Amino acid sequence: MIGDLVKGLATTVRYMFRKPVTVEYPEVKRPVRERFRGRHELKRFENGMERCIGCSLCAAACPADAILVVPAENNPEHPNSPGERYAATYEINMLRCIFCGYCEDACPTNAIVLEHQYELSYYDRHASIYTKEMLLVPPDQGHGAIPPVLEQVNRTPSPPAQIEL
Amino acid sequence: MAEITITVDGVQITVPDTMNVVDAARLAAIQIPVFCYHPRLPAVGMCRMCMVAIGTPRLDRDTRQPVLDEHGKPMIQMLPKLQPACTTRVSEGMVVITKSDEVKFAQNGVLEFLLTSHPLDCPVCDKGGECPLQNLTMEWGPSTSRFDYSDKVHFEKPYKLGDLINLDRERCILCSRCVRFQDDLADDPVLGFDQRGRKWHIISKSDPPFDSKFSGNTTDICPVGALTTSDFRFRARAWELTAVPSLCNHCAVGCNTTLDMRHNQLQRVMPRENAAVNDIWICDKGRFGHRFIERENRLTTPLVRRDGQLQPATWDEALDVIATNFRAIQATDGGAALAGLAGEHLANEDLFLFQRLFREVLGSNNLDTRIGAPGEYALDDVGYQYGVGVGTNLMKLGKGTAVLVFGADPEEEAPLYMLRLRQIVTQGGSLIVANPRPTKLDRSATQTLRYRPDSERDVLLALLKLVSAETKQIPQRTTGAAELKGTLEQTKLDVVAKLSGLEQAALEQAAQTILAAEHLLIVYGADVLVHGASLSALLANLLILRGKVGLVNSGLIPLLARGNSRGALDMGVRPDKAAGYRPLQQVGLTAREMWPAALAGKLRGMYVMGSDPVASYAPAQAALDALAFLVVQDTTLTATAQLADVVLPGMTVAEYDATYTNAERRVQRARLARKVDDASKPNWAIVQAIAQAMRGEPVLAGAVSSETTTTITRTVGGNGKGGNGVQGKLTLTTSTASADAAQENWDYMTVAEVAADIADLVPGYAGITHTALAQTAQTKGWGRQANEAYFYDGTSYANAEGVGLQVPSGAELPKATFDLTPPPATKVPASSTYPFALLVQTLAYRNDPFLHDSLLQSHIPAGYIALNTDDAAKLGIAAGAQVQLTSAAGSLRAPARVVADLPTGCVLVPAGLADLPVSTIQTGALTRVAVSRVAE
Repeated sequence: MIGDLVKGLATTVRYMFRKPVTVEYPEVKRPVRERFRGRHELKRFENGMERCIGCSLCAAACPADAILVVPAENNPEHPNSPGERYAATYEINMLRCIFCGYCEDACPTNAIVLEHQYELSYYDRHASIYTKEMLLVPPDQGHGAIPPVLEQVNRTPSPPAQIEL
Repeated sequence: MAEITITVDGVQITVPDTMNVVDAARLAAIQIPVFCYHPRLPAVGMCRMCMVAIGTPRLDRDTRQPVLDEHGKPMIQMLPKLQPACTTRVSEGMVVITKSDEVKFAQNGVLEFLLTSHPLDCPVCDKGGECPLQNLTMEWGPSTSRFDYSDKVHFEKPYKLGDLINLDRERCILCSRCVRFQDDLADDPVLGFDQRGRKWHIISKSDPPFDSKFSGNTTDICPVGALTTSDFRFRARAWELTAVPSLCNHCAVGCNTTLDMRHNQLQRVMPRENAAVNDIWICDKGRFGHRFIERENRLTTPLVRRDGQLQPATWDEALDVIATNFRAIQATDGGAALAGLAGEHLANEDLFLFQRLFREVLGSNNLDTRIGAPGEYALDDVGYQYGVGVGTNLMKLGKGTAVLVFGADPEEEAPLYMLRLRQIVTQGGSLIVANPRPTKLDRSATQTLRYRPDSERDVLLALLKLVSAETKQIPQRTTGAAELKGTLEQTKLDVVAKLSGLEQAALEQAAQTILAAEHLLIVYGADVLVHGASLSALLANLLILRGKVGLVNSGLIPLLARGNSRGALDMGVRPDKAAGYRPLQQVGLTAREMWPAALAGKLRGMYVMGSDPVASYAPAQAALDALAFLVVQDTTLTATAQLADVVLPGMTVAEYDATYTNAERRVQRARLARKVDDASKPNWAIVQAIAQAMRGEPVLAGAVSSETTTTITRTVGGNGKGGNGVQGKLTLTTSTASADAAQENWDYMTVAEVAADIADLVPGYAGITHTALAQTAQTKGWGRQANEAYFYDGTSYANAEGVGLQVPSGAELPKATFDLTPPPATKVPASSTYPFALLVQTLAYRNDPFLHDSLLQSHIPAGYIALNTDDAAKLGIAAGAQVQLTSAAGSLRAPARVVADLPTGCVLVPAGLADLPVSTIQTGALTRVAVSRVAE
């Protein structure tokens, strides 16, 4: 019996000299895995255009009905996105969202991506609705050239519709 | 039409021998994929998607009998190559194989080819989700393509075919459904093909582009997303929409529509299939002209005039003011000092309660749906008395049918009748179009009669004379035959020919067509309706002489002004007759008599519901100003509402559940599609609230909610009215209260109860309750039904709401009598001062509050005065020059249009344009005018 006690205490003593696993959240944050599904972001192309074309396929795929898209026609002078259509309203209710990533799968332009931010808490239920302004990344964080298939006036040969991120 | 038996994929089916293989297979629930074929259009076999293997029994060369095999069955000789199923007619013993490797190979090949040029931009395509190309690719297409994706052809987009329709040339598969619809069905051949090879695409050939009143239908039948409407462009995806059954209220056709809603907003209007009304089509006015529902200046609260200003008030305040003032007028001057005007677009329930309010609570028969302007339509009782019989379906008519279109321009007045009448001609019927001026329907007519203006009566008498000469026997219970004989004896054909400018032979030919007809339909419009019974009774006489009264597929069809013009007459919103055309002892004032009475101080209070007399008839303003008290109920602050003491916010057709009666007396139901705020009441509930306030009863809380209508259903015939209207304390009883008791109380909880009262109290509406209407639902249409012909997806919606019930015409009632007495002539003689006859043309696209905020606004023409080339030359008027029309009533100026095909001696002026108030120069049904050039 004493042997068992010593064995247990030995473990305790051993761990006393190890670096603790716990981190002092929120001052310290543990990194997440590359494929972690956190808060969504709406991506842009390199030239600052929105990738989202307002097709509502994310909303259709969403099992929790958390996404609302209201599309509109681009002004040809100042297009928001390549092509004729863009999302005038894009909202995700983070309280409804189950972070399954189906929206990401459904997106034909890889506009919506579940990123690594996981700190989603609100004082108010209404605050859980993330609008397009909140979801859209800043223009200088865009990447990837616009595929010609989305640029309808560009008549050069086009790659497949699914765009590599 | 013989029945034959064929075998499709081993299933034996018996079908009519006129069918093609696609439709025959559909009967056996076997789908043959198609792109270019559409059941409503002639087959062309352009897309090659419907290739199937077809075999026929081998015939012995000598005996022409099928050769039998060793089992005693006919030997089937398969055709060496696949055949297009849409252009192949079925024949006896035919064997069709739709599922074989060979067929699969062909279908895969066709789809692979079609998709080589398709941009695959389904995510941004308005058709995505209801697209036959998507469906067929999933079901019959190859999973991969051997073609290089980068080799797709690209065109600039959007490419506007017209301002309403966009063409995406990349998506187009060149099936020509749109071209054929325009050519064959709509008779507006404005579309065509241009270029060739990979540049081959659809163009509009007309100026203005895509000039057709049916253009929206091409987007429905387009099997890909090539044609989309500007109205619905990028508004929502198809699967996000909630389809609510509704009705188009613009004209008397009563087309069944679906309001596709999202977030309580109207996204688009689509047709709902109803074979007896609009089939699967609607006109552009119905499709694009419904944006008025969401106008920004919609009224939301009652307004009460305080210190000369209209200020928002609560319902209680507004109702209190109304009751106090109406009671005061009643006390001092009696009920006859009150009058009511109602719009013809309002529902039966609204109008029924409106006339009840006036007749029972206010004690007045001063009711009208007109506004008293000269040259407006007379009350059309003849159209009810001799209207088409119950069960009439124009879709099924063809050979043996004669249609006489008299004084009507269906394209402008009731566009859908263009398609329906044209179809009768295509199916072998005869169509006589008689008009003083050319109309688009002339092109489809088997005979046109171009009579001179003001010779309508003579032409009809001549036709009657010719028909009566061949008539051996007139129907029983007919009166006035002697009077008619007397009048006809005075009618001389050669005199009529001279007066009307028609050949005598043409009149004889028309009479022959009428005499030979098994089914006789007479369609009449604006030119007859302004004259009222003095002309329409003569049209009815034609029917009586031929014995075609009260029969299915025969009778009159009046092209009345609005969606519920017939309902308004049925409900008795008129000074001379109660609901159901029962004559009144004490006749009230017509709208025309109200204005002088108001100015003279005899009429002191008015309640105007959904009507705007000031906007279209300026003299009404002074009369309304002279009133002591005016209540206006409308959706916006109209010119009339601005004069009111109390303004009540009304509802549009999309916002409450109600029934409407169309030109063929079909009662149909529209549902609540758009929720207004909680305080708003449906029009009928407002009328009821006024009645309750007048009677000093508390307003029932339940009566304001239109949502409850769907939850409470009543049995046919039973009057399950409950509640006695005290403080919302309700006891729903199942006792069958008598109609009298219902009449006493003003405690309708739901619109269904009002409808049930209409069924009880209005002769002809017996049995037409909401429950009965719901039982007319058609679930066997096309559209979005599982496993049924979804290659017509996006074409139409199944009619789950019901196709409606027809009210019997007067002639169908037992012991109906038929009156042949010719009405007296009402001639307006030409004078040397006013030598020209004024023809007023009703336009489909006019300055109508219903078209506000819609894309059609730009289709409303600027005012013009059309003249014949010879007349213009004589007067020295060039096209575009300012012309002045002067009549005994006033004068009017507008630029001239010089047209060759207008008859001489008349000028054509469009009605209802903001810059051309034609009512200011009208003196009556026919106005004589002088034309002069305005010096620059």
